Amino acid sequence: MPRYMVERSFPEGLRIPLNDEGAEMCRMVVLNNEEDSVTWIHSYVSDDGKKTYCAYDAPSPEAIRRTARRNNLPVDRITEVRVLDPYFYH
Amino acid sequence: MELLEREQFLVELEAILNDVSSGKGRFVLVSGEAGIGKTWLVERFTEAHKKGARVLWGACDALFTPRPLGPLYDIARQTQGNLLALLEEEAPRASIFSAALNEMENGHAPSIITVIEDVHWADEATLDLLKFLGRRIHRINSMLLVTYRDDEVGADHPLRLVLGDLSHRSVVRLRLPPLSEAAVEQLAANASRHIEDLYAVTGGNPFFVTEALASKESGVPVTVRDAVLSRAGRLSPAARAALELVSVVPARTEMWLLDDTISPNGYALEECVSAGMLRSDSEAIAFRHELARLAIEDSLTAPRRQSLHHLVLKALLNRGSEALLPRIVHHAAQAGDSAAVLKHAPIAARQAAALNAHRESASHYQTALRYADRLAAEERAALLESRSYECYLTNQSEEALRVRREALEIWKRLGDKRRQGDNLRWMSRLTWFLGRKTEAESHSIEAVAILEDLPPSPELAMAYSNRAQLHMLADEDQEAVRWGSRAIALAEELGTTETLVHALNNVGSAELLAHDEQGRIKLEESLRLALANGFQEHAARALTNLASVAVRDRNYRLASRYLSDGIAYTTEHDLDSWTLYMTAWRARAHFEQGEWDSASDDAGFVLSHYRVSPITKIPALAVLGHVRVRRGDPDAARLLAEARELAMQTKELQRIAPVASARAEIAWLKGDFEQMRDEASFVLNMAKGHDDPWLQGEFAFWVWHVGDAIETQEKIAAPYALQMSRDWRAAAEAWKETGCPYEEAMALADGDESAQLAALEIFERLGAGPAAERLRQTLRATGVRGIPRGPRPSTKENPVGLTNRQMEVLALMTDGFANAEIAHQLFISPKTVDHHVSAILAKLDVHTRAEAVSVALQSGLINQNRERRAPK
Repeated sequence: MPRYMVERSFPEGLRIPLNDEGAEMCRMVVLNNEEDSVTWIHSYVSDDGKKTYCAYDAPSPEAIRRTARRNNLPVDRITEVRVLDPYFYH
Repeated sequence: MELLEREQFLVELEAILNDVSSGKGRFVLVSGEAGIGKTWLVERFTEAHKKGARVLWGACDALFTPRPLGPLYDIARQTQGNLLALLEEEAPRASIFSAALNEMENGHAPSIITVIEDVHWADEATLDLLKFLGRRIHRINSMLLVTYRDDEVGADHPLRLVLGDLSHRSVVRLRLPPLSEAAVEQLAANASRHIEDLYAVTGGNPFFVTEALASKESGVPVTVRDAVLSRAGRLSPAARAALELVSVVPARTEMWLLDDTISPNGYALEECVSAGMLRSDSEAIAFRHELARLAIEDSLTAPRRQSLHHLVLKALLNRGSEALLPRIVHHAAQAGDSAAVLKHAPIAARQAAALNAHRESASHYQTALRYADRLAAEERAALLESRSYECYLTNQSEEALRVRREALEIWKRLGDKRRQGDNLRWMSRLTWFLGRKTEAESHSIEAVAILEDLPPSPELAMAYSNRAQLHMLADEDQEAVRWGSRAIALAEELGTTETLVHALNNVGSAELLAHDEQGRIKLEESLRLALANGFQEHAARALTNLASVAVRDRNYRLASRYLSDGIAYTTEHDLDSWTLYMTAWRARAHFEQGEWDSASDDAGFVLSHYRVSPITKIPALAVLGHVRVRRGDPDAARLLAEARELAMQTKELQRIAPVASARAEIAWLKGDFEQMRDEASFVLNMAKGHDDPWLQGEFAFWVWHVGDAIETQEKIAAPYALQMSRDWRAAAEAWKETGCPYEEAMALADGDESAQLAALEIFERLGAGPAAERLRQTLRATGVRGIPRGPRPSTKENPVGLTNRQMEVLALMTDGFANAEIAHQLFISPKTVDHHVSAILAKLDVHTRAEAVSVALQSGLINQNRERRAPK
């Protein structure tokens, strides 16, 4: 399955609390993703919380957009990516 | 076997049955590998409800060519009455299916449980029945339990289409996992046995575990087969003989069949049953599991197997029943009895076709053809033609073509011109279907030439109409009308209605494409005749052409009506390839209206089907690729390259142009003028003399964008013409009127600063990343300040951020419409409605529809006193 980097903007800043509520938010996202066979691998969040870079395995960019819609998440840009491992070149 | 690790599934089935009794019908899919305990589970469940519910039971079997509607015959034997009568008199399929639905609905018992086992072996008609029931089950209080081996249903298995098609609201999927190590140990302990590695070798497969425990060997048999054979090895010779006969009969072996073949004594059967190999009731005997049957059948030597098949064949023939035909063909072929195959396979093929089991029909013809070298040439050619037709109907166009060609060669040798001409006309149709235009044309011309040498014939009328169709599809309107009119005249003279319907369609479509409204009258007439005479394919084609011309004219209101009627019609009649083709056109209509989610849902739905014909695949790829271009999503170029390769072979403007347009737009976004010129000039050259102002405008516009002079003589649609004459304001207005927001924004982007900011807002709302970015650069370059940096909160239409479409859906929800009705009202797919509803719930931060409606009304998001549509 292709891997995608999804860039998102949160003008108000993204806040996922480190408690049950935060866990529940993430769980809902993962459940919603499942319907379209989309897997959220992990995200990098800018310090101010206004920008995220999220790695996903998904069957297509449309699947990413559908799940974003269900999760009420913005999408700025979707880029198909491959892993480059610097230590592979040892 | 006791209730190990299967309780939860029984509990779940109980809960479903409760739902069903309260009026919510359910389609339950029980899947898992062979031997995992599907039948066991279903038997346990139905056994527990023997008193309270009525249980109907049918099974598919492992014949080389399965019995058409085999499971429904099983069920009808239990219900008797109308259903059985309709099946026996070979009534039209629609009435058989309705009768089946009736049986599942009107019982004296409070609930009816219908079981259909092993649908991975289902014939085409049974698959259609499942589709038919799946689309209606939610309306009746009935439970349909279907079992299948999911490891035998690969990506290209016909069952996939059915499973994909089932509406997910009424479907429950239960997948049985292997037993855990603890459960396997428990079973061994219950049998007072300890076997090393039992779990590892059996992988927790309950059937394998049971066989291994029963085999009484010290170690674990390496395979299921070894376990079964070891168990069978302990039987007496007489019991073994009975077992072997039963093993060559897929499905159940009736008692009369046993009596008419080896008439075993009662003790032999008793021994097989008590050894746990066979199970019996008063009418029939069968292996406890198909895996065991296969193990025994495989262990027979070839001559022994053949002679057993012969015995069965003789007994079946003596019985002389029509319903046994598929089994007769199976055993005749297995026994290598060519005379019996040649006599019965063609009859079985016609019987299957009458039930719309065209895949099985094609397969029976193939079986016959394997033995056909001893037939007279004419008879062989006739078999080939029949097989070709059945292959054509089941989307196996390459094979249909190959077989046609073989038939043509035979008629050439025999010097029969009329048959040659007709086969050539068919080859033209098939090669067109395969997207190979050049071949299609040359076959078409040759067919007419040969048939014109003979006295006027129905074949000639059809050959004329085929030529008209090819010209119509290539937008060669005048030629299409010329050949089509000859076809109409001849068809009327000879009184062949079907050809008349075909020709009226071609001429009507060509005229309509040339903006001659006379065409609509002819097309509607073709539609009326098709409906009146039950020519379903012709009716579908008329609706498709009415719809596609409307899309090409950007008359979206009209298009949406025809598409909605057309898709409803083809869905109702299970004309799946037409449904897909029209769905691809609907994707284009959505796309052009800026509804990109719906567009990519529709296009994705089309592309997710295996074996989509190129003609259908091209527009779907073009739309999905174009959506990705406009969104800046990855992999657009690859989709469009594939679309282009397929489109070029069709040589048809209507396939090529949308792909070229998307590719020109990629080039525009990259600033690659050379590429834009190439794409545009290719299409404009091809479109010379075509009266299609939208298409002319679209590509002239790309040329204009490059900055080249426009030298076209053709008519150009008003919005494009206004844009190129630099009247951006009027152009934007005209695009808005037409209903194309992206093009509206493109026009505004040529305007003054406030127009450009309005354009930016539209681009942002559509999610057109690259166009928005480009415009932002232009604005920055001209020194405009305060350019919004991304989607602004103010661009949202309302406080909670629902889009226009979502507001429409919410309003309809508030009026009490169900999703399917909303889909119908808004001309979008139910799946898209589901997405909108989920998004609405998320944005309103509620969990149910009822909560959403109450929030919508209380917050004033939806006005309680607005005008309403009444739910139907």
